[in-house]
Amino acid sequence: MTISQVLFIVISLVVLGGGVMVVTARNLFHAALFLIVSFFGVTGLYVLLDAGFFAAAQFLVYIGAISILIIFAVMLTRGVQLAQPANSQWPAALVVSVIVFAIMALMLGPVAVTIGQRQFGSVSWPNVVEGQPAPAVPDDHLVRLGQSFVDFNQYGAAFLLTAVLILVAMVGAIWVARDRALKDVMEERAELAAEEAQEAMLAGPVQQPLPLAETRSAEAPAASVAHH
Amino acid sequence: MSVIDTVNNLLKIVSDGVAGLVEGILGPGLGADLITMGLGALVLCTIVALVFMGMTWAERKVVARIQNRVGPNQAGPFGLLQPIADGIKMFTKEDTTPASADRWVYNAAPLIIATFALVTFAVFPLAPGVVGTNLNIGVFFVIAVGSASTVAILMAGWGSNNKYSLLGAFRTVAQLVGYEVPMLLNVIPVILLAGSMGLADIVQRQTLADGNPGIPFILYLPLSALAFFIAGVAETGRSPFDLLEAESEIVAGFHVEYSGMKFALFMLGEYVNTLAVSIVFATLFLGGYAGPILPPYLWLALKTAGVFFVFMWLRGTLPRVRVDQLMSLNWKVLVPMSIVNIIAVMILAKLFVTSPGLQAANGGILVTPETQAAILFVANVAILLSGLAIVARRARVLRLAEEAEIESRREANRAAVSGFAGGAPAR
Repeated sequence: MTISQVLFIVISLVVLGGGVMVVTARNLFHAALFLIVSFFGVTGLYVLLDAGFFAAAQFLVYIGAISILIIFAVMLTRGVQLAQPANSQWPAALVVSVIVFAIMALMLGPVAVTIGQRQFGSVSWPNVVEGQPAPAVPDDHLVRLGQSFVDFNQYGAAFLLTAVLILVAMVGAIWVARDRALKDVMEERAELAAEEAQEAMLAGPVQQPLPLAETRSAEAPAASVAHH
Repeated sequence: MSVIDTVNNLLKIVSDGVAGLVEGILGPGLGADLITMGLGALVLCTIVALVFMGMTWAERKVVARIQNRVGPNQAGPFGLLQPIADGIKMFTKEDTTPASADRWVYNAAPLIIATFALVTFAVFPLAPGVVGTNLNIGVFFVIAVGSASTVAILMAGWGSNNKYSLLGAFRTVAQLVGYEVPMLLNVIPVILLAGSMGLADIVQRQTLADGNPGIPFILYLPLSALAFFIAGVAETGRSPFDLLEAESEIVAGFHVEYSGMKFALFMLGEYVNTLAVSIVFATLFLGGYAGPILPPYLWLALKTAGVFFVFMWLRGTLPRVRVDQLMSLNWKVLVPMSIVNIIAVMILAKLFVTSPGLQAANGGILVTPETQAAILFVANVAILLSGLAIVARRARVLRLAEEAEIESRREANRAAVSGFAGGAPAR
């Protein structure tokens, strides 16, 4: 066994072990942390594939952002400590997982399966010859990646569509947050004004500390009430 | 090789010498490589930890001077032994764990924060050819690894089972996740100009060699440098953005429950992160190890110390910002300005090219590097000033509107109370 094979097995154990702990942990917060362990293992897989950019992106996006989001969601739920890690939906989840796994195994696996007219599986990976070490990653792979994102013959359209999707989500998030904030501000101001009115009523004719631009005509009626 | 060359390449000579020695004993191969790399990592981490001790001393002295105090002056000359005394104190303190703490999470948090703070030092070029590993995604790597501290702080805040810790953790996440955005956005113009994400390449682009003009990027991109610095101060959670450990509000934030060496590890993480941000700033905007006469590693140390001095200066001078100010500074000022800046730099760098090869490939106007720097400088300053003008105007409009509204409500209430709701009679 070569060193990279040993590393691959160790990292895979981290990924799978983290994944198993996610679904078996009774404490939801611990489950979220094990998910981070699993994500970290995936980062290691990218490093093993000589894909440094993807490793850093995986780290930044999944560990730095998505896991934080998940932990926040966990903190806002009420039952962090569960009696049972599974709920009543587990049979449905099991069926879905098995189907997804079967599809992926079918698409990527080495065995060719014919369903109806079409043949699935036995993917021929580019530039890979059986029994030979994989070809080295080209030096300019980052440049090629960047160019493929702006080239409309490759992934330009998909890249733009993704960007628009994210933009829509951002605008939506801002809109939701903004609407609520404005309402809160208006309610707060209304409460403040009501409190001030009550204070003015209790204090009666005694002059309140007035804001700078208070007009005189507003004071006059208060004074006349006191005379009566 | 002359004496000057020897001094200039001291780090390179020593590291190559050690590598040769190990290889001579073990023979070339994977074992020797692993031992050399391990030794390098060990030495680097030790030096960083020693620098951390020096930084705590320097910070206390400088802030004391700014605030008209003396600072540590009892332990050794000028209080120089103070960090060692602090270290002994930390080691001998009782290591407490709250009874209701989430033990594993509580104990793992300081380890994670210290580890990932040290990992970033693997990619910093300390001198020509002296770098832990010359990744072609250097800047991205530093920022990605830096984001791990958010997770560690959340773990500390949750694991302590203390409401102040948790509040501190919540604030941290809002702050760190938010300020990562302008940090990344302001690295992009540098990457555009340097044509690479590797830190060594970025420094190379700012040295006076290979047809490069030797102009540091801060003169090309003053707005990016300023915004990156502000984001860096916020990312490291230092004053005036130290809301995550605001002692007058939430005791000490996420590390309330930590004592002894675990607390020291949090301190280490904070200072090492600050050092990392200082080195990244010196590398991206001040030309890293590039400089005349002095040896390269000394230039890097000087530039880093200069950046760190500004950090200390801010800490000694500015009051803490409020949460809403923190958020609006980030999302309403830094991020929009940075995005406009990126677009401007993209267009201008394509329009005014410095090499005939690029002109032949993409068109554009051929200018000298100095002219390109001047054009970008003017564009940056223009964006900065117009952005500030818009912000100031908006703030004024908002303030006036708020005053007018409060005024009108007060008036209405007063009129209602006095029984002349229909309008007050004139005198």
